[in-house]
Amino acid sequence: MTSSELLVTLLSVPLACSLFAFATRWAGDAARQLATAAHLFSIVVVGGLALLAASKVLLGTPLIAGNHWLYIDSLGAIFLGLVGVVGCLTGVYSIGYMSHELEHGEIDTATLCNYYGFFNLFLFTMLLAVTANNLIMMWVAVEATTLGSTFLVGLYGQRSSLEAAWKYIIICTVGVAFGLYGTVLIYSNAASVMSQPEGAIFWTVVLENAKSLDPTLVHLSFVFALIGFGTKAGLFPMHAWLPDAHSEAPSPTSALLSAVLLNCALLIIIRYYILVSKAIGPAFPQTLLMVLGILSIAVAAFFIIVQRDMKRLLAYSSVENMGLIALSLGIGGPLGVLAALFHTINHSLAKALLFCGSGNILIKYGTRDLDAVKGVLKVAPITGILITAGALALGGLPPFNVFVSEFFVITAGIKAGHPVLMIICLLLLTVVLAGLVRMVASTVFGPSPEAVQKGELGALTLLPMAVLLVLMLVMGTCVPQSVRQLVAHATSVVLNSDEQPDTQMALPWQSPEQGKKDEKAEVSAASAPVAAGI
Amino acid sequence: MTGTLIVNNLAGLLIVTSLMVIGAKRPTSSALLYALQSLVLVAIFLALAVTKQAEELYLWSITSLVTKVVLVPYVMYRALGSLRDPEADGSILSMPWMMLAAAITVLASFLVLDSVRLPAITDLKPALGVSLAHFFLGLLCIVTQRNILKQIFGYCLMENGAHLTLALMAYKAPELVEIGIATDSIFAVVIMTLIARKIHRTLNTLNVNQLTALKG
Repeated sequence: MTSSELLVTLLSVPLACSLFAFATRWAGDAARQLATAAHLFSIVVVGGLALLAASKVLLGTPLIAGNHWLYIDSLGAIFLGLVGVVGCLTGVYSIGYMSHELEHGEIDTATLCNYYGFFNLFLFTMLLAVTANNLIMMWVAVEATTLGSTFLVGLYGQRSSLEAAWKYIIICTVGVAFGLYGTVLIYSNAASVMSQPEGAIFWTVVLENAKSLDPTLVHLSFVFALIGFGTKAGLFPMHAWLPDAHSEAPSPTSALLSAVLLNCALLIIIRYYILVSKAIGPAFPQTLLMVLGILSIAVAAFFIIVQRDMKRLLAYSSVENMGLIALSLGIGGPLGVLAALFHTINHSLAKALLFCGSGNILIKYGTRDLDAVKGVLKVAPITGILITAGALALGGLPPFNVFVSEFFVITAGIKAGHPVLMIICLLLLTVVLAGLVRMVASTVFGPSPEAVQKGELGALTLLPMAVLLVLMLVMGTCVPQSVRQLVAHATSVVLNSDEQPDTQMALPWQSPEQGKKDEKAEVSAASAPVAAGI
Repeated sequence: MTGTLIVNNLAGLLIVTSLMVIGAKRPTSSALLYALQSLVLVAIFLALAVTKQAEELYLWSITSLVTKVVLVPYVMYRALGSLRDPEADGSILSMPWMMLAAAITVLASFLVLDSVRLPAITDLKPALGVSLAHFFLGLLCIVTQRNILKQIFGYCLMENGAHLTLALMAYKAPELVEIGIATDSIFAVVIMTLIARKIHRTLNTLNVNQLTALKG
């Protein structure tokens, strides 16, 4: 399969399946089976092809297709892989979760068909956002993600979900409109200084000519882009839509919003960061990212510690983690960028797990109120264990993955000469950990209410969570060589340098030398030519 | 020279029409005034196409004529016409203050653009300033109006401002890009309209101050 066939299939399958799922509502009694089959086919193809594309990038050069409109480098491959893996797992979870909702009369069959239709449409728009090379198409795709997911947020049609959907679409379309200004400024700026203006629409071409851009306009466009795509990434103070939308959406959608959608917007911010750093130096974008990052962590930490609603708590944790990623990008340097990319992966896995877990609790107890949910361990022991592990992992406890990347962030910050900032950051992370521990302590333990029927919901709602937990353990203890390479390559893309970062990649409990030794052993074992130089 | 003069004057007219859209009492009149404003936008595209000999902009004006002068206002006229909520009417800013705010926005946009040195847009700077101001006027409408339908119109105004910026600075972009942006904005308006209708049906209100179930 050539790279353009691969990318075209990757994009067209979810779109076609989405349209098919919408159409099945007229299929009468077979509607449910047909829609579910289309959905299952789509998520399996997306998961498989996304990983295939990522591995192709890892083993060779970036993929370019569709007249340069589509482009996947190692940076894009990380995000594409996340869309694929998390999209597939939450897709499987959706089948279990939504059939439960259908059987209990929360939704009807037509709504279920719409759900699968919008789910796959949403996947398609996110895939488009992470593979776009055309600057304006990037914007179009991010805007389309809002449109594709608004109905998912408002799916239940109740007072609160409609309110959340309204806030979501208004804040995000308005916010992302700022991103359009940033895009247009960069494009027209590039078009007027380049000898071949038709190339100015492509990110890769503008990057080659970044040095000749007008500095005033570059400053302005980064501010616009950061406000615009930062709204979508959930950074403070543009995060107001996020807790509402994440908490009101059906749980698998919450997982997708939090673990994938925020990353898509983040990738666009990183793309602009690369352009702007090359044009005017990294100091300006780094300062802005650091300020927004630490403010996001601080504000989210205080909302987490006082939160009584489980899904809102998790939503604020997304704001916190996005802030941490922005902070790490702002710290910059090879280690800072590497930490940011690792944390992106780790946060996605952890948050997808927890939102799926919160879905199981919501179905069992009928509420997300932390004061009402008690004794999950007695009601649904496997869900209880998975949630406990997930929450502790998200809080940054070893041996899980989030601990490793948070450790990298702090190390990068101290190395870059921000000790005070890092101490503040650590204190805030402790507050977050306290909030998560409180959530687990009050829900998982304790006596189970009489009214709640005991028993798990079924394999389809547990298996994706278990897979996520295994992935988190793997990422926390022995990061696979392929992931290390991909992240190292992506770091050099972000830093816009040919040299691979000097990242020993020692896990926190290894000495740097030991990490290097492991690395060398693995590199010599790997036959891939790209392995050299790490 | 006269071509750019026409463009700049028509751009000024955009601000006047958008104040009318914001000030209109009924959603149906807002929809009609929005169609009028889009007609002015189409006229600007045509004037620009002639002045800059830009073939692409003829196509832009045709697509805008179809989508923004006919399609979107028609959808809004039909879908929003029957929705009423007298309690939601009103704004944080009264009309005179709104006009003052518009004037300040235009002035501020001119000041910001003063330092930009792109040869392609030197003589069209007033129009560019207006387009930026128009964008922020739409934002002002969304922030100050209590009626959620007015917020949809606010988004339309923002979108028209951004569209004009695009026409002034990026008309050479591939056609597919313009189609993508136009499709996005049509769907955005349609989805907002659908949700506003659902909110009116379920909650029996159009007042944004009533949408306060989610907090903290």
